[in-house]
Amino acid sequence: MQTDNLPESIQRKTPFILVVTRNGHMSEPVMDYAVNVAERMHCSILAAHINTLPFYRDGGRRSNLFTTAMQESAAMFEAKAAAKGVGVEHASDSGKIGKAVKRLCHPGGRRIEFVVVDQGIKLDEVTAQSPVPVFTVNSPKYKAGLQRKTSHSHFFQKGVHRMSTATRKRHVQNTFIFGGLTAALYAAVFTSQEAVMTYFTKGGIYAALPVALVFAVSYFHGNFTSSFWSALGIESSKTTATRTAEIRVEKPVTAPARKDTRPRAEVNA
Amino acid sequence: MHGPVTEVLQFIDLNAYSVLFLFLVGFIGGLVSGFIGSGGAFVLTPGMMSLGVPGTVAVASNMCHKFPKALVGAIKRFKYGQVDIKLGLIMGVFAEIGVQIGIMVQRSILEKFGQAGSNLYVSFIFVVVLVTVGSFVMRDAIKMKKSTGPVKVGTALARRLQQIELWPMITFKTANLRISMWFLVPVALATGMLAATIAVGGFIGVPGLMYIIGATSIVASATELVIAFVMGLGGTLIWAYYGSVDIRLVMIILAGSLFGVQLGAIGTTYVKDYMIKYVMAVIMLIVAVSRFFAIPKYLNELHVTSLSETSVSLMTRISFGVMCFALLTGATIILVNLFKARSLERAVLARG
Repeated sequence: MQTDNLPESIQRKTPFILVVTRNGHMSEPVMDYAVNVAERMHCSILAAHINTLPFYRDGGRRSNLFTTAMQESAAMFEAKAAAKGVGVEHASDSGKIGKAVKRLCHPGGRRIEFVVVDQGIKLDEVTAQSPVPVFTVNSPKYKAGLQRKTSHSHFFQKGVHRMSTATRKRHVQNTFIFGGLTAALYAAVFTSQEAVMTYFTKGGIYAALPVALVFAVSYFHGNFTSSFWSALGIESSKTTATRTAEIRVEKPVTAPARKDTRPRAEVNA
Repeated sequence: MHGPVTEVLQFIDLNAYSVLFLFLVGFIGGLVSGFIGSGGAFVLTPGMMSLGVPGTVAVASNMCHKFPKALVGAIKRFKYGQVDIKLGLIMGVFAEIGVQIGIMVQRSILEKFGQAGSNLYVSFIFVVVLVTVGSFVMRDAIKMKKSTGPVKVGTALARRLQQIELWPMITFKTANLRISMWFLVPVALATGMLAATIAVGGFIGVPGLMYIIGATSIVASATELVIAFVMGLGGTLIWAYYGSVDIRLVMIILAGSLFGVQLGAIGTTYVKDYMIKYVMAVIMLIVAVSRFFAIPKYLNELHVTSLSETSVSLMTRISFGVMCFALLTGATIILVNLFKARSLERAVLARG
């Protein structure tokens, strides 16, 4: 890396903080942290959305949702940064996180001071490849987890596709696919009733036949009925779906520690 | 019951009426099972027999439809985070042992007192268990409904038992409890024995999990599905070994019951905790009534009473009717609550 040989103009350019996410929606604490630090250090922000599964086999559905989510996320980041007078640039890439970070930190491009990674990225993957320090943002308010990925959907108008939302159309599709398979299975059994009844009631080792058949029925018909009700819009309660009845709470012996809700960085250079 | 079948089995011809009947009973039974963890099976065996299916085939086919239904229900409710798989599997294994003990007890009674004595024994167990456990669950459900403050988790008995450190202690994460295996085993054995006697182990299994082990009613009813799966699979393998499963009947019932079990499982995410207890208690108490009507027939056979042939057959029919009524009542309560809670939630979401 011969940074000395680079033209002066590049070296003098405003430094950037690279913020990397592999989720469609970047989590808010990460955005807040990046904006605060960038303001303090007179940096700009380079927000990178990395699609780590570009070839996910669902007919491009994931990639489309990812792009939509990314646009939402970018708009939100810009709004946050504009409020503090920080510049934001966006980059999207696909492939492995480590390699993408390495590409973005390339000395020929922008000058990256350090990297901030979002939830869902393994730190080792980035630190192994990154030429600059890497930070994660540890926010007590938002625990890492899948359910937080889309936490700022309220920011945008309703009805926008979200990455974790399975659409009604998909349920209808599944209803027809599994409905067809179930119908085929039933038709096969009932058209050849005689043969089926002869073999299935032979007993002994033939006992495996009825058991295997009902397992097949429970798979095909189970999936069919599940998507059938979902396609009709009859699904589990939105408010209590994650509730597993009453959860036993043990009383703490000591006074609970006061919560520090500020996002903060962890150094892992 | 699981003995070798020596007589030549008769498999019935299916017609539109019997197909429709099995499908509907399957659906309603599935709905109830998905919601309270078991049930529905007690109507299917006599129901199939009324269509002319021989007793052995009816019991075997009922058993064979039970475990796929329980499997599908358990998977669905696992997605909602309600199932404690470890608890279910351990209980299931001991319940299977309980089934074998139950069969031995049945056999010895059959040898000593004959068919009528055995039937009377089954009815007696039916009435005693359903009335005592059913009224206890009902009382608890009403108490829970009335209480406005924070609900106390687990009964005093369950909390006491959980404090006894007796090797081997087992921790159950989803059920959120730690208890000695020595308290699980009797509940599981009783569940299996009841299943062997009256075909619905859940009437002891679910209350046992709630009041003795200390799980919540949602976790208890969901975990019962795993127990039912283990017991049902074991029973089916034995019945199928003797070739008594009529796969056509099983598939027709399953066609209906899988629709039901999904809907029942969805229902649990909408209702309050006491609702599961309430539905369970209502069904248990009504079924207990139905068995009263079955007793005169057996008393007649034992020559204790001498009622006329017509009144006995009428009583038998009433008994079956009341059982169907029990299932229908349970299904209605579940559906009404599901759709009420759903439209309420939609209204709230639309507003907010």
